[in-house]
Amino acid sequence: MRTKLMSLAVFAGLILSVAPAGAHHSFAAEFDINRPLKLRGTVTTMEWVNPHSWIHIDVKGADGKVVSWMVEGGSPNALLRLGFNKSALPPGSEVVVEGFQARDGSNRAVGQSVSFADGRKLFLGGTAEGAHGDTDKNDK
Amino acid sequence: MTHLASLFVLLLMTAPVYGQASFRTADGHPDLQGIWTSASVVPLERPASLKGKEFYTEQEAAENAKRVLGMSSWERLGSQAPEHYNMSQYGLDLSQAKVASTLRTSLIVGPEGRVPPLTPEAQKRIAERAARNRGHQFDGPENRPLQERCLIYSSEGPPMLPSAYNSNLQIVQDADHVVVLQEMIHSARIIPTDGSPHLAQSVRQWYGDSRGHWEGDTLVVDTTNFTDKTAFRGSTANLHLIERFRRIDKDTIVYEFTAEDPATWTRPWTAQIQLVRIEGPLFEFACHEGNQGVANTLSGARAAENVSK
Repeated sequence: MRTKLMSLAVFAGLILSVAPAGAHHSFAAEFDINRPLKLRGTVTTMEWVNPHSWIHIDVKGADGKVVSWMVEGGSPNALLRLGFNKSALPPGSEVVVEGFQARDGSNRAVGQSVSFADGRKLFLGGTAEGAHGDTDKNDK
Repeated sequence: MTHLASLFVLLLMTAPVYGQASFRTADGHPDLQGIWTSASVVPLERPASLKGKEFYTEQEAAENAKRVLGMSSWERLGSQAPEHYNMSQYGLDLSQAKVASTLRTSLIVGPEGRVPPLTPEAQKRIAERAARNRGHQFDGPENRPLQERCLIYSSEGPPMLPSAYNSNLQIVQDADHVVVLQEMIHSARIIPTDGSPHLAQSVRQWYGDSRGHWEGDTLVVDTTNFTDKTAFRGSTANLHLIERFRRIDKDTIVYEFTAEDPATWTRPWTAQIQLVRIEGPLFEFACHEGNQGVANTLSGARAAENVSK
């Protein structure tokens, strides 16, 4: 495990040494590639905060118990430029989150891809002024 | 009638000034004001495959732009981060930004197109710093990068470089100052242009001390007085920067910087970036507001240590 942590550290160092950096922080350090997850839940709130937005969802398990999760997303700036605002994701919206769980095992995840229940991707459908390409090429 | 005549004369006198209104302020200086982006399809350093070729042909430049904008974010950034959120879903992909068209093959100008070699002294210094950090990157918040701690963003400068996303900035001027406001992650650099000298050498600042003056239509900014906390590609606190801003048309500023630090590089080097005008507004990027990244990263490291015990 020590080796794994070390290689993680080296990886984080590499990411941070290239310019431009991929993001404000290393997602590899925060989320665990070995803990992929797919959550279907109901939005309770969306935090439009910097440096990253957080979507809070309630997920009902097979046993009927409801578990709350926090999902990390992109910065609000770009979402505003895409034409979205605080009412874009009202409480009660059903969403499907694909991503990875936090390394500390808490109920936090990166929302690598977030969709509405009918499959439509959240936030897609707009590009910034003068933009060029499609908006979905990074999908897996 | 006299009034009318003087008004007419006044109009004649001011007409040339108004004719350049979009390029000059009321003080007669070049008008750099507006909201701009430094987003670029060109890397800082020239790829080895383009060695010796400083400029593309127009056709090659168009092909390069198409190729770069067609990549996924990860291919473009040269690192794989499968845990990361989908950049394009959140409007953060380069293809969703406005970018300048340029014939350059690298932002760094000149035949090499690369950051010059580090001096032996700098190699030693950087290796020692890396050795000190090794195994301690996750000890506590102070071990985390400045960017992750929301203190300073690696691309906001000075010198300014394109960021992976939100490469947006605003320039505001008055008669004696130019202010550069960076969206990522919040700095407002106030550059006096009143001829005042640099701060005393004993005063050190994270963004350095910038002083500007006008050379014809170019704003020239000289920055010194850095700290040793914000090493720019390994530089020391004695980094000396000269930046040049020249507005070449309504929608474009050519921004150029020369970095000089004899303790770090074997020679000064210069990069040139086209800033393109975009519609505003800039949005506040109050990075500390919800910065859970540091805490989550450290708790992840603690969890990994517990598993390994």
